[in-house]
Amino acid sequence: MSGIKALGIDVGSTTVKIVGVDTEGKMCWHILEQAEPRVEDQVERFLDHTRQVVGTLDRIPLVATGYGRGLVEQATRSVTEITCHAKGVYREFGHGGTLVDIGGQDSKVIGISPEGKVLDFVMNDKCAAGTGRFLENTASRLKVPLDRMGDEALSVVEEVPISSTCTVFAESEVISLIAHGVPVASILRGLHRSLIKRTVAMIRTVGIVPPLMLSGGVVLNPAICRLLEEETGEKVVLPRYPQLMGAHGAALFALEILNDGSQVS
Amino acid sequence: MSVADTLRYHWNVNLLGRAALRWRRWQTELLAKTGSGWRSEILTPPLRISAWTKELVGRHYLQGNFAHLHDKVAWVTSGAPIEFLRALDFYVLYPENHGAICGAARVVVEIASEAENAGYSRDICSYARTDLGTLISGKTPVGKLPKPDLLLACTNICQTVLHWYRVLAHHFEVPLILIDTPFIYTQVSDHALTFVKQQLEEAIPMAEKVAGKSLDQRKLKQITRLSQMATYLWLELLERCKHRPTPISVFDQFTQMAPIVEMRGDAVTVDLYSAMLKEVNDRIAQGIGVVPNEKKRLLWDNLPIWYRMRYLAEFLGRHGIVITASTYTNAWGELADLINPEQPLVSASRTLIHTLLNRGAGDKLATMRRMIDEYNLDGVILHSDRSCKPYSIGQIDQRDRLIREYGVPALLLEADHNDPRSFSEEQVANRLDAFIEMLGV
Amino acid sequence: MEVISVIPRRLDVINKYKEQGGYVAAVLPIHYPRALLRAFNVLPVEVWGPPRVDTSHGATHLQPYICSIVHNTLSFLQMGGLDITDVIIIPHACDSLQGLGSVLLDFVPPDKPIVPIYLPRGRRESDIVFLTREFYAIYQRLEAITGRAPSDADLMKSIRREEGADEVLIKLHQSHSCLPLTDIAFYRLIRSREYLPAETFIELAQAVLAKDIKKPRDGIPILLSGIVPEPMSLLEAISEMGAMVVADDLACCGRRLYPPGRSGDPLRRMAERIIYAPPDPTRGNPIRERREHLLRLIENSGAKGVVFYDVKFCEPELFDLPTLRCELQKAKVPSVTVEVDINDPLSHQTLTRIEAFLEILNERR
Repeated sequence: MSGIKALGIDVGSTTVKIVGVDTEGKMCWHILEQAEPRVEDQVERFLDHTRQVVGTLDRIPLVATGYGRGLVEQATRSVTEITCHAKGVYREFGHGGTLVDIGGQDSKVIGISPEGKVLDFVMNDKCAAGTGRFLENTASRLKVPLDRMGDEALSVVEEVPISSTCTVFAESEVISLIAHGVPVASILRGLHRSLIKRTVAMIRTVGIVPPLMLSGGVVLNPAICRLLEEETGEKVVLPRYPQLMGAHGAALFALEILNDGSQVS
Repeated sequence: MSVADTLRYHWNVNLLGRAALRWRRWQTELLAKTGSGWRSEILTPPLRISAWTKELVGRHYLQGNFAHLHDKVAWVTSGAPIEFLRALDFYVLYPENHGAICGAARVVVEIASEAENAGYSRDICSYARTDLGTLISGKTPVGKLPKPDLLLACTNICQTVLHWYRVLAHHFEVPLILIDTPFIYTQVSDHALTFVKQQLEEAIPMAEKVAGKSLDQRKLKQITRLSQMATYLWLELLERCKHRPTPISVFDQFTQMAPIVEMRGDAVTVDLYSAMLKEVNDRIAQGIGVVPNEKKRLLWDNLPIWYRMRYLAEFLGRHGIVITASTYTNAWGELADLINPEQPLVSASRTLIHTLLNRGAGDKLATMRRMIDEYNLDGVILHSDRSCKPYSIGQIDQRDRLIREYGVPALLLEADHNDPRSFSEEQVANRLDAFIEMLGV
Repeated sequence: MEVISVIPRRLDVINKYKEQGGYVAAVLPIHYPRALLRAFNVLPVEVWGPPRVDTSHGATHLQPYICSIVHNTLSFLQMGGLDITDVIIIPHACDSLQGLGSVLLDFVPPDKPIVPIYLPRGRRESDIVFLTREFYAIYQRLEAITGRAPSDADLMKSIRREEGADEVLIKLHQSHSCLPLTDIAFYRLIRSREYLPAETFIELAQAVLAKDIKKPRDGIPILLSGIVPEPMSLLEAISEMGAMVVADDLACCGRRLYPPGRSGDPLRRMAERIIYAPPDPTRGNPIRERREHLLRLIENSGAKGVVFYDVKFCEPELFDLPTLRCELQKAKVPSVTVEVDINDPLSHQTLTRIEAFLEILNERR
């Protein structure tokens, strides 16, 4: 496939994504995998794969983003996931707003101007509450597979409040609830609510500018979207490829490099 | 303040409001008489006089709702000298006390979230977050808080209050009076005492300017006298708990302490505590204790966990354990002897600088040991309060010494005085169970 | 630049000072009278943590919600890190340092004297009078410890020397963006004032100032606010991201540019110098003054944004943040907050926050 003019790679804590764009910046190719412990090897494999598709990587700029962006030696440039997400999301929707990205290690809320620029952003504080890890940890106690969590939570109306937002405290709270025979689905719903409340606090800090956009792997969980709408009273819009926004944004930066005629390694 | 405003104030506060609060008090008293209002198989019902305390606190906040029609308003920290402000007819509001009311009413998470959303870190004091949350959102269970004309912060309880009041001063654009009380690491110095007195002297003209009147020294002495009477009565009330079985637990003390904090110089406070003392004496005479079959008596250190008082009281009460005394409630009475109504400023500087939290960690340990002996206590619960660093630092060593050198079982309990998100019921229950076993109950 | 490579090492300085018959004081943050100590032939050596020590020692006396600077200080002391010093000075900067002082005095006494200093929280006449008397009390303690009794003239001489050192320190800050020094080299130099005798520091600083190239360095100019720039690799990371620190509001640096005193009475003059230092929340200065100070720094230095780099649990910093950020926003100055524990290596999240912020600034240029 020869339409690929520029590449973006997003090396995240849970997944690694690579996106190719054509001259127009349209996403025309991608790969997504779970992150492996040896990031460098995985990136090398990704690029091998890419070479098979495009022939040679010469003259195709690559921009890296995500936590492991510094580890991608082949990259022409690195840009933070904040700026890349904003770029990718703006390309998809063509308007500004507030982007919420709940990741495994990190959550962030980004205010995007009508022109697609980052106005302000916040990230979760040091503890894991407010990130995907909060749900994962506590849900593993409940023996519910990750991809079923959201549906389970939405299957009930009854919800038990989880007051602790500390992951350690919440876990012991969950254990006690199970011991008291509270239905698992109600606990799950409460856990989701707790995570969303924490996220809404971050949204308020940035200042909510509609529409609310959601990206990241957590979008696959339907409860997140529903409860976020409930808590904010705003409609949430989802991109077509929620997990690829960062990589797409990175590829768009790569395309700019190409168009600027900058040196490509 | 026009005549119409004054009329409106009296109509709302002294006619309508007072009548409504009195009516509520009668109802509560009636319920208490028939015994139908209390649902606990473990704990003795609260003092009958609680209804009156509630009425007084209710009236205080009601006055606050209409204060702008009638008074100048001062916001003050809990350790601050209020006698001169009362003598200048300020309506005095304690944001910390308001925080505690929010805590007991379990609305802190909702209110504090407003402050957190505005960028205030969860690591700052939960009283401050509650207050700033109310400021930002207007949310409060007491109707509304009157805007201050003056702020008064005294650092004798913590530096936190100064940081908090600087934010208030910036927000309201009103003067902030600071009474800075150098911390006593070992011994109080003469220059520190002089410094506090000097600041009080400088504070008076500032307050006079805001009040638009001059301080009447006779009135100041009179209010100081009433303060001292109330403080003595409060101390006497606490000391009644040396009796076995304990007539009122710390949980009762926590709820009965609002007037000694925020209505200290009022005549009605003296009347209230005199009457309370009578009721406690009656309890003692009848041999009524807080829990039936009292087995162990404990000391509490640090602020209450406002949102879980009933839970803790019942948890312990179930095992025949009562918390008899606390360094916290004691702090509002222990300095009664230092007050001298004839020399209000000199005595104020002495009491301000000697508050429990302005003294060293070793001094607090000594206070705890003295209380253990005087009150015949079997163990100590030290509430390690995330939101109150000055009260909490030193507790690890204090606990250690109590156990090793004094042979008194002691438990460090991690929580927060106002933020239930820092309270893990499972962990608390677990630790309490283990502690109860240690006590040999 | 070669000057930086010749900054004497802390331990060498201490040993040399002691060999010459002097005493060494370990001094905790933030403000204290350097001139008073030196008049007694006591060299102040500051302890800001230090970062990256085994904190298990501190954790047996302090709760986890006390900041890492205080935790580390106690751990470092318990591990023998301060054995070489003769006295420990504990200025009262905050509730946590107050608690540490109290715990040390009452429960974990080291084998050397502890001298707490209370710093008043205002700029009133009564504050100056109190601090003057407090310094007199410190004078008496130091007299007992060293057996010396410096005269007013001795004290004045010592004050003049420190005023001289602070004057060049202020000059260094003012010409920061024109000096041929990377940020990390600049801050190594500035922070050597934390342990160098004033005269040695003056020599070093003047050698650097002589090389003022009058040509601004290249990079996105930012202002750094907070307590302490630890880990120092933060500064390297900032340079690598294409930015440079052109001004700071750091407790260990820019908030200690003490102006010369006015009084002829030496102790009062020392008090004035601290009380009239740039605004600092731990000395109770109003937020309005902090705002004006920040805006002035921004204007003079050409900083395009502010990074608030704060130690977790630090109430004095945390209370002011929302107001300051809001005021900066009104003045169209973007800012970002980063929270750190001085024991942790620079985290990816910290770097990402700063880098993303720089991308925003770059976009606005």
